[in-house]
Amino acid sequence: MKGTYLGEFEELVLLTVGILFDDAYGLAIVDELEKQTERNVMISSVHKALVRLEEKGYLKSHLGGATETRGGRDKRLYTLTQAGIKVLNQSKELRNAMYKQVPKMVWEESKI
Amino acid sequence: MRHTKQKDSPPKWVVRFFRWYCNDHLSEAVLGDMIEFYKRRKQKLGNRKADLLFLWNVLCFLQPFAIKRKSSPQNHFAMFENYLKIAWRSMSRQKMYTAIKVGGFAIGLATCILIFLFIRNEISYDKQYASQSIYRLYNDWRGPDGGQWTSFPANIHTILKNDYAEVEKAGRLIPYKWFNAGSNLIRRDDRADNTYEEGFAYADNELLEILNIPMAYGSQSNALAKPSSIVLSKKMADKYFPNEDPVGKIIILNEEKTKPFVVGGVMNDFPTNSHIHYEFLITLTNVEFWPGEQTSWCCWNYNAYIKLRPDTNIPSFEKKLTSMRETYLVSHLEKMGDQSVADVKKYHFFGVQPVEDIYLKSGKMGDEQQHGDMRYIWLFGGIAVFILLLACINFINLSTAKSANRAKEVGLRKVVGSARSFLVRQFLTESLVYSFVSFALALVLVILVMPFFNSLSGKQLSVPWTTWWLLPLLGAGAIMAGVIAGIYPAFYLSAFKPVDVLKGSVSRGSKSSTMRSAMVIFQFTTSIILIIGTFIIYEQMNFILHSKLGFSKEQVIMIQGASTLERQHDAFKNELKQLAEVENATSNNYLPVYGTNRDQNGFWKEGKQKIDKPVYGQFWYVDEDYIPTLRMKLVEGRNFNEKLKSDSAAIIINQALARAMGYKKSVGERMGNGRTYNVIGVVEDFHFDTMKGEIRPLCMVMGKGGDIVSVKVKSKNVASVLSSINKVWDKFMPHQPFRYTFLDESYARMYDDVDRTGRLFASFAGLAIIVACLGLFALSAFMVEQRSKEISIRLVMGASVRNIFRLLTQNFVKLVLVSFVIAAPISWIMMNKWLEDYKYKITITLDVFIAAGVTAVFIALLTISYQSISAALANPANRLRSE
Repeated sequence: MKGTYLGEFEELVLLTVGILFDDAYGLAIVDELEKQTERNVMISSVHKALVRLEEKGYLKSHLGGATETRGGRDKRLYTLTQAGIKVLNQSKELRNAMYKQVPKMVWEESKI
Repeated sequence: MRHTKQKDSPPKWVVRFFRWYCNDHLSEAVLGDMIEFYKRRKQKLGNRKADLLFLWNVLCFLQPFAIKRKSSPQNHFAMFENYLKIAWRSMSRQKMYTAIKVGGFAIGLATCILIFLFIRNEISYDKQYASQSIYRLYNDWRGPDGGQWTSFPANIHTILKNDYAEVEKAGRLIPYKWFNAGSNLIRRDDRADNTYEEGFAYADNELLEILNIPMAYGSQSNALAKPSSIVLSKKMADKYFPNEDPVGKIIILNEEKTKPFVVGGVMNDFPTNSHIHYEFLITLTNVEFWPGEQTSWCCWNYNAYIKLRPDTNIPSFEKKLTSMRETYLVSHLEKMGDQSVADVKKYHFFGVQPVEDIYLKSGKMGDEQQHGDMRYIWLFGGIAVFILLLACINFINLSTAKSANRAKEVGLRKVVGSARSFLVRQFLTESLVYSFVSFALALVLVILVMPFFNSLSGKQLSVPWTTWWLLPLLGAGAIMAGVIAGIYPAFYLSAFKPVDVLKGSVSRGSKSSTMRSAMVIFQFTTSIILIIGTFIIYEQMNFILHSKLGFSKEQVIMIQGASTLERQHDAFKNELKQLAEVENATSNNYLPVYGTNRDQNGFWKEGKQKIDKPVYGQFWYVDEDYIPTLRMKLVEGRNFNEKLKSDSAAIIINQALARAMGYKKSVGERMGNGRTYNVIGVVEDFHFDTMKGEIRPLCMVMGKGGDIVSVKVKSKNVASVLSSINKVWDKFMPHQPFRYTFLDESYARMYDDVDRTGRLFASFAGLAIIVACLGLFALSAFMVEQRSKEISIRLVMGASVRNIFRLLTQNFVKLVLVSFVIAAPISWIMMNKWLEDYKYKITITLDVFIAAGVTAVFIALLTISYQSISAALANPANRLRSE
């Protein structure tokens, strides 16, 4: 299904929103993602993912929390929706299920 | 809080740029994020780097997800639906205006499409040869009376191939009527009956290869290689050898059984856009028309086509060709003691012309072939643009004139919240709808008119439905025309201020009356120029057909193909003369119309051959009946008399030749072209070429035979004369069809191109007038509607119908008169330019202009008067009652 497919980066953003809980806005997500993944994250790609996730119904947002450092501009604060939580669970289960199906041999080989 | 200190914030213009493109959903929050980020960076990296990175971030957001959408797509669609609905309603509410708008536009477009197809065809000639290094050789006389011509001596092809390394291939062609080139009687050797065919030419085998003529049977490399071989076109092969391979079959021309031709191959028919069209090519292999002809530089009768090496530098090659002049021409002339050597050395040069340029870009090249004319392409293209402009102007005029009716709609839309850009879009949509409808109608018109246009232009055009670009091009054209025609009304209409409109203070459409007047003037200027052009072309044509020619072309029947009579010539002629209806008959090859023989000879006074430069002139063989039959006038001396033995050395010259020789009294002088003749008479100058050139020197001597027997007829009943002549013919030549033409028709055919131009001009003028009048009609209707209250009150107050009529028409007539004043000098200059082509021409007189002016005013009045009179006759009570 095209509309509900969750990309890898989208999944990470979704998880970050979950981690940050009540202060999940653009820049904070960028920081958290960089910290977690240790890769360079573009602010525009995060916002792009956020917009798309909101369109898909996995996130909802509201404005609030303006500070001096932001030039007095509101943040757009994101929170997970039920659908978002569900899709994260599904994705985790899918991974686990698939993980279990990999023969033990494979894991052992990699240890050598 | 919002406005912090200048120092802390990123460059303002970047922020502004971001806010401009970013949608509302993201703008605030993202900007906040970025400023926060910016401040963090600034501390670490410093001002400059932070600014740059900020800009980089902003640019990164230039993606579809962040960019503003003007409005949601659904709403857009709904609005367009509404626009279309409104367009349809206003179209159907005012049927007359719609019909005129669409009809006028369609006529203009149809004209444009036709002219486009015409021009496309004209410039498509021989394009397959483009940049293939295939050229035609020409002579370039760079002296006084300069000129270019394409005939060369017989050995030109061997010289070219032997002396110039650049020449890969060289082939000759004899394109004019000469010996068997031109027309012949033809039959298969196993049939008895002859048929007359045209389209013969002599050619070398190499010409097939140079021009890469595709073959249906036989091969390019040897179809014309053997002596007395002939190549047929596919059409002719199908006619004479249906369903068989004609290669090796025998063909007899003109009953010359001793010289049969063997079919060497069949070539595909020449495409219509080729500069040459032949049905038969006769080989030049081993052909020698008279002893020594093939090696002498005396007589120039061959055209030469060459294929050059691809890397040839043309200007330097042309310079190299000059050596040909020194080696061959000058030495020949010196041997003959010709006095023109000095001039030749100074002025005679050679050039090459790409084959693809022959049709359109030959200018004044003398090659006796049909040419297009680049000037007409520009002219017609210009006319197409102008007619389209006229149609667009109508469109604009009508839209703005009817604006009052739309003003309320505009006002209301604005009050309800429509932005100006929406209104512009609405009116553009509307004009696009009109445009597309008009295009569809124009296509239908083109299809309907195509046969007429083809007969008018002498072409075989058709709409190229199968080409991929046709529909996209038409679509793009429709959009462009729609936008161009709609853009002024769109901005004009959308500029109304709602308050004014709803208060009712927008004067109804009068605001742009200057603009409208200008457009009417433009339309009528164009129309009047075309009218004057048409008048002058027709006058010139009339002048050509009816001016004193120096001979009588009326009631002369030309019996063609008489050369096969051979020894029975005189008997046939005498029998014709016995017929009661026949006044006289003459037999020869030379007549003062196209399609008959011409030749050029140099003449000297007796004994001056090695002293004087020659006088060049025509040298015609005629019989003693020639001058009386064509009713030429002898201004001096006497006609030939066959009974006088001495007349075999007699010559009759025309006044031009007498002048050129410098004779005061010609009779008794002796002159010649190698052989010496006694001048026994001078014939009044008569036109034997088109009137574009001056009458050239000409002389006649006695000769027998000839291919054409011309019969001057007494009675007006041509049919009965023809049948009695036919009977005589059948008695002499039972196996040959009786074929005849009329001298006056052949004469008129010389001016087909003038006639065609005239008719094309007339059609365009007609179209321009129709379009202009449609516009005027609608405008006058509008004007009447505008002033209906005023008219009604005037009528009530006692104005007469005449007063009202004058009131309504005088403005328009004034406009037409202004157009006339503009058009007259322009057309005078244009037509003088056109007439410069003619040596014998009319002088442009005032009456042409008066006639054109009166026509224009009359047509304009006629157009307006319908509306004006009906307004003046209407019952005023009906209109005033509604108030």
